[in-house]
Amino acid sequence: MTRRFVQRFLRSRLGNRAATKRSGALGALLFLLTALPALAQMRVISLPSRSPLVTLRIVFIAGSASDPQDKPGTAYLTAMMLGRAGTKDLTYRQVVDAMFPMASSVNVQVDKEMVTFSGATHTDNLEAYYKLLRAMLLDPGWRADDFQRVKDDAINFLRVNLRANNDEELGKEVLEQETFQGTPYQHYSAGTASSLQKITLDDVQQFYRMHYSQANLYLGIAGGYPQPFLERVKKDFRSLPEGGGFRPRENPLALIRQNRAVIVDKDTRSVAFSLGFPTLGMRSSPDYAALLVANSYLGQHRSSNGRLFDRMREKRGLNYGDYSYIEYFPRGMFQFEPSPNLARHFQTFQIWIRPVEPPTAKFALRLALYELDKLCREGIPEEGFEHTRDFLSKYVNILTSTKTAELGYAIDSLYYGIPNYNQYLKMHLEKLTRDDVNRAIKRYLRPDRLVIVAVSKNGEDLKKQLASDAVSPMTYNSPKPAEITEEDKVVEKFPLHLAAGEVRVEPVDQVFE
Amino acid sequence: MKEMLFKLFVAVSFAALLFGADAPRKVFPYAYTQEDLPNGLRVVTVPTDFPNIVATYIVVQTGSRNEVESGHTGFAHLFEHLMSRGTEKYPPEHYDAILKQIGASSNAFTTDDFTCYHTTFSKEDLETVLAMEADRFQTLKYAEPEFKTETLAVLGEYNKNSASPFLKLNEQIADTAFERHTYKHTTMGFLKDIQDMPNQYEYSLRFFDRYYRPEYTTIIVVGDVKPKAVRELVDKYWGAWKHGTYQPEIPREPVQDAPRTSHVDWPTPTLPILTISYKVPAYTDTAKDTAALEALSFLAFSPTSELYQKLVIQEQKVDQLSANNPFNVDPNLFGILARVKKPGDMDYVREQILSTVKTLRDTPVDAARLDAVRKHLRYQLALTMDNSDTIANILSRYVALRRSPDTIDKLYAQLAQLTPADIQAAATKYLIENGRTIVTLTGPGSAK
Repeated sequence: MTRRFVQRFLRSRLGNRAATKRSGALGALLFLLTALPALAQMRVISLPSRSPLVTLRIVFIAGSASDPQDKPGTAYLTAMMLGRAGTKDLTYRQVVDAMFPMASSVNVQVDKEMVTFSGATHTDNLEAYYKLLRAMLLDPGWRADDFQRVKDDAINFLRVNLRANNDEELGKEVLEQETFQGTPYQHYSAGTASSLQKITLDDVQQFYRMHYSQANLYLGIAGGYPQPFLERVKKDFRSLPEGGGFRPRENPLALIRQNRAVIVDKDTRSVAFSLGFPTLGMRSSPDYAALLVANSYLGQHRSSNGRLFDRMREKRGLNYGDYSYIEYFPRGMFQFEPSPNLARHFQTFQIWIRPVEPPTAKFALRLALYELDKLCREGIPEEGFEHTRDFLSKYVNILTSTKTAELGYAIDSLYYGIPNYNQYLKMHLEKLTRDDVNRAIKRYLRPDRLVIVAVSKNGEDLKKQLASDAVSPMTYNSPKPAEITEEDKVVEKFPLHLAAGEVRVEPVDQVFE
Repeated sequence: MKEMLFKLFVAVSFAALLFGADAPRKVFPYAYTQEDLPNGLRVVTVPTDFPNIVATYIVVQTGSRNEVESGHTGFAHLFEHLMSRGTEKYPPEHYDAILKQIGASSNAFTTDDFTCYHTTFSKEDLETVLAMEADRFQTLKYAEPEFKTETLAVLGEYNKNSASPFLKLNEQIADTAFERHTYKHTTMGFLKDIQDMPNQYEYSLRFFDRYYRPEYTTIIVVGDVKPKAVRELVDKYWGAWKHGTYQPEIPREPVQDAPRTSHVDWPTPTLPILTISYKVPAYTDTAKDTAALEALSFLAFSPTSELYQKLVIQEQKVDQLSANNPFNVDPNLFGILARVKKPGDMDYVREQILSTVKTLRDTPVDAARLDAVRKHLRYQLALTMDNSDTIANILSRYVALRRSPDTIDKLYAQLAQLTPADIQAAATKYLIENGRTIVTLTGPGSAK
């Protein structure tokens, strides 16, 4: 069943020939997906040290891809009923009161595949903290008043925090929804407002019984805990049902045949863009390091080193920044390093254009596509290759410089079936050649068949602009070097290949509703 | 290896002492050196046991507070941008290429009171980083066209922030609560000033000449380093930097003599937001005020407080409730914020908060709860210090106030001595009607 899902996914995205050609990557995927049910026991990752702190990351493969088809948001509400609600013996207030003097808490992260409960505490409080955490995850309270509160919070999160207050994250999530149409990845991990409303307490309890199993559990612990403590934790979590592992539903992915755009229409000052397409260039792929170099060169997150940042912000002052991604990276406006435990079997390549002034919106989009096209046509320059490879070889140390990140990366590595991330990446980077990177660019990236999402006011006006071939000349508040003005003459008419029928305007109040 | 194990053991024992039965002494558990160069530059070096990584945080005690001339708000923040525009020795491409080659994570941030430039990297690149930073702090050079382009990136930053109602709300709170002090504008600055920035090249040169001086600057180096080596490098690259002469005259805020209110109409649907702010004194580590107000913010408005439990958990009328006690160079605002689920509950929630504030003035808090807050704050600090970068980050915020990590221990010593009577005294003195500003924000169709 699982094998068919992956093959259909690949076939629908790449066509039959391509799927056969990429049999290496496909083999790795199948192994991971089919191997899980056989290992019906938890995986434990322990990183003991003499630190006075203890960090826990408890990951269940119980994310939104496992939602019942007609009830998106069930995984999310289930996770919140564990991490933001009372236990069988304690009300939520009692839990919060007990954690307060320790300054500890339980953070909850819900993604398509993984749900993560994480926290840290001082060794002084390890027993007391663990007692609470254990009860929250293994003996939840399932109280109706908690359920009403977490449900309200989830709906307000969608309608207010995401839809009303954060145009950039909204654009990114609409892009995810559009690129994964027809698959279990399609809906936002917190579901939709109307679906959340109809989910019942019985639904989440049933979801918990089905998916919170030993087979779905990755238990991570780091810091100054005593060994017998870890044994006790393992024993406690063995009380969960053994379970059968992660099985995604079978749904073919709708093929992106040509560029199409969605404009989310809302009253806002500027225009935020996100664009991209699905890829299989994941961590376990032999091409991962090559693709990582290509992406870092084009648009390293929140760094002034990326090509997009340099050409769009630094040279032209179009906006605050422009970046690209080969892995899902939510909350990028609030953090510099990615959160771990967002591991997925399918990823998207994305470009994020931060809000631009409306008159320059079409030019900014054209410039980003022009740069992507240039990378796809010309590949990475020799100097860019060397500098980016050197950067990543060292930057990986910063990515994993906290205990919680080290633990999170270790869990992801186990999930992807790769060795220690730092060593894995450094080993691959060392052997990497410029040709490898250029081959990966050809194989995984493309300047067409993109989904483009804009969050903008006057959506119909923007639609007209995007669907027209009219030039979008750029004017500046200061003289620009000839190199820029010459390039602008090409960029201002760079084809967007967007037919009017391929541009949809969606009122913001319908998004995730 | 032996040495490292020993150090770790010391750290563990020391941390245990912090929270044990013995009287706590210091909450900042690392030994550090603090030295001044003859030019007034200060260097704070904190060796830690976290291997290989070093974080430098360079604090310039210039923030939006220093923007004293009208029409020029937002310039401290603009410099956070301009500092990446290069020097003769390191043009921007060269500077970026070196940072890239050494795999550094580098950025900057600006607040009311200071601007901070931070870089995290591998220990072998310490000299490269200190040399490059010294060069841009002393010889920053940008031409007018590049200046104009960078001002557009600042406008882009304003634009990306403007999707959230909190930018507008903060602008309104500052503008309503202050008359003369520069805290009247946010760190981003007034939009009209940002839009005029491209025309202010000459002023920008003056701003740099005034504030980017050693007497305003402290270099914090945390991680796998030795203080002597750091000092030698700082002497070598930063020793020739010239002391400046400029001292801003920050306008004094007149005493507020009546409560103020104001309202923001937000154009798109959002939940209504209620903010209640009070004027409170400047940061102090020699009196109890800052510590008492900090404890009070947790006692009365954190998730364990009676009010939070009532409004958020039981009645479920509010989905966010929090309070923020400012740590600022000058008197600023103690802010309470509630996001209300239904517009019709705004009056009720306001009355509940005001009644809580009145109770704080009238009744001493429970001593056991005060103890829980003290523990919370100490453990919270310990939990965040789990790598060199966050240790340096925490230090930067205190160094911006007192130029020394010493102030952390002084503040926590004040906290340790607090009694319920101190909390009551702080509430009685500062959480008063005449110092109050209430600002509300509602979306379309909501009652104000």
